[in-house]
Amino acid sequence: MASADKLINTDVPEKDVFAFHFLQSLSNLRKQNPFDTPDQKNYRVRKIKKAAYVSMARAAGGSSRLWSRALLRRADKDDNKIVRFSRRKRKVTWKISSKRRRSNQRAPVVEEAAERLRNLVPGGGGMETSKLMEETAHYIKCLSMQVKVMQCLVDGLSPK
Amino acid sequence: MENELFMNAGASSHPPVITSPSSSSAMLNWVSMETQSVDPSLGCNLFWEKSTEQSIFHSALSSLVSSPTPSNSNFSGGVVGGENVMIRELIGKRGNIVDIYGTPASNGNVSGSCYATPMSSPTPGRMMVMKTTTPITEISGDPGFAERAARFSCFGSRSFNGRTNSPFPMNNEQPVATNEKMPRISSSPALKPLVSRVPTGESSGEFSRKRKAKSKQNSPSTVSPSKEIEEKEDSDPKRCKKSEENGDKTKSIDPYKDYIHVRARRGQATDSHSLAERVRREKISERMKLLQDLVPGCNKVTGKALMLDEIINYVQSLQRQVEFLSMKLSSVNTRLDFNMDAILSKDIFPSSNNLMHHQQVLQLDSSAETLLGDHHNNNLQLNPDISSNNIINPLETSETRSFISHLPTFAHFTDSISQYSTFSEDDLTSIIHMGFAQNRLHELNHGSSKQVPSHMKAEL
Repeated sequence: MASADKLINTDVPEKDVFAFHFLQSLSNLRKQNPFDTPDQKNYRVRKIKKAAYVSMARAAGGSSRLWSRALLRRADKDDNKIVRFSRRKRKVTWKISSKRRRSNQRAPVVEEAAERLRNLVPGGGGMETSKLMEETAHYIKCLSMQVKVMQCLVDGLSPK
Repeated sequence: MENELFMNAGASSHPPVITSPSSSSAMLNWVSMETQSVDPSLGCNLFWEKSTEQSIFHSALSSLVSSPTPSNSNFSGGVVGGENVMIRELIGKRGNIVDIYGTPASNGNVSGSCYATPMSSPTPGRMMVMKTTTPITEISGDPGFAERAARFSCFGSRSFNGRTNSPFPMNNEQPVATNEKMPRISSSPALKPLVSRVPTGESSGEFSRKRKAKSKQNSPSTVSPSKEIEEKEDSDPKRCKKSEENGDKTKSIDPYKDYIHVRARRGQATDSHSLAERVRREKISERMKLLQDLVPGCNKVTGKALMLDEIINYVQSLQRQVEFLSMKLSSVNTRLDFNMDAILSKDIFPSSNNLMHHQQVLQLDSSAETLLGDHHNNNLQLNPDISSNNIINPLETSETRSFISHLPTFAHFTDSISQYSTFSEDDLTSIIHMGFAQNRLHELNHGSSKQVPSHMKAEL
């Protein structure tokens, strides 16, 4: 999927990479919880969902994208692991918040939609609108790829 | 006064305003500053300290004049872009300034002087105050140069009033008097590179201001200097931001990397704010087009707001799909667990080399098929590429029996579960290819699988 715009690069890897990462994360999950009871279904669902997102973030290029970085950081935080780059993140958000303060004059229509988008896209809170849209484009591509992979998996593994 | 100056430009006589000794030193100063790797983006400054050959300045200016073509077109348009070209040329020639000599000295100061006087700016000003008459006179040889010079808003005048860091306050007096009357002579590109180190970071903002001021040539000439100053003090947020973000490094940063050079369009507002806004809007619309191609069904929608709504809905739907699929996966997960182990362990069985050999594919297929249930029976028959008749045979037996019969074989490989990490990507990709192939088969059977997501959507 080569992006037509040379300045804005929104290439995502092939399906295989996504599938590989997702399967790996699933197998890790399986290793951790070998005997899942149906009572914990919600727990399992959440785990799988999280595994899907994390694997997607990794497949899409780890730290090279803002949203993937934010996603991984969020995942790490949820696991109560030490968040390594918290300080950097705080710095960035401070800068961006000052930018935003100055940019109150921007087109309000676009800005309110951008605000909603920021809530959806991970890491969106620290981005300006133009950067946000770049990240959204990449995020959409990765999400659709991940959905395809999961669909294939479900189709392949589900009984008729 | 200004008319005088301009006339003098052609006349190559000494303008009355010029005070030679300090100005020459000033002019030559920039050369020395230049060679000291000054950051030109920080603006023109007056260098009055050192004195070098006046001809240095002359040569630089004449080199500018000699290469009028890129600048000419720009000058007439009053655009910033040409300036950059000029400036880059000059910057490029920085190191060779001494070599450029050979230009006649002591003439044509006037054109320079007309810059000089307004440019007697204190350090924050990017204006090079060239108070020397002699060095600039030679430049006046080009009659068009004065005209061009006149066209550009004088960089010094407005911003100088507020800034009085100049070590040469006496220079300010006259320029202040004249600047108010001066039309907007933009910072001449000739002088732009003549910048020295700027002590304050705000000079970088000034630089951008000057560039934008250049485009105001058509605007009325009488502008209150204070107003100009305020304008310029509200420097281009984008550029200033960039320069400020670079913080302490403003002096050493290459300006052309940091700044986004904006060209003011004809007939459009040209203050820094609106230019920045325009650039930003263009950026956003460009990215909106990109997104429009991604999101299906957005071609009919026009307008940013609706487009963005559509995009938001699409992202939400994708996220919901992920959630739904993960739920589905968890429900299949008990089977999946065992299947995963078996499949992945089975992968180890073939050589870790490329598994695209037909035989290996068949092996994978057979293992997968037996594990994954009998619903592949029909599919396999439909897709002879992937499966051969051999594979169908085990499937013809009862599913459970084949399933169980394969268990011990795979149990043997479950020990290798720990070797998951050693999987080559090829192994798993083969599985996925299988899965995709099956998906295609499903598509054949059930129509487009893309309908499924829509079904899911409907359910949700």
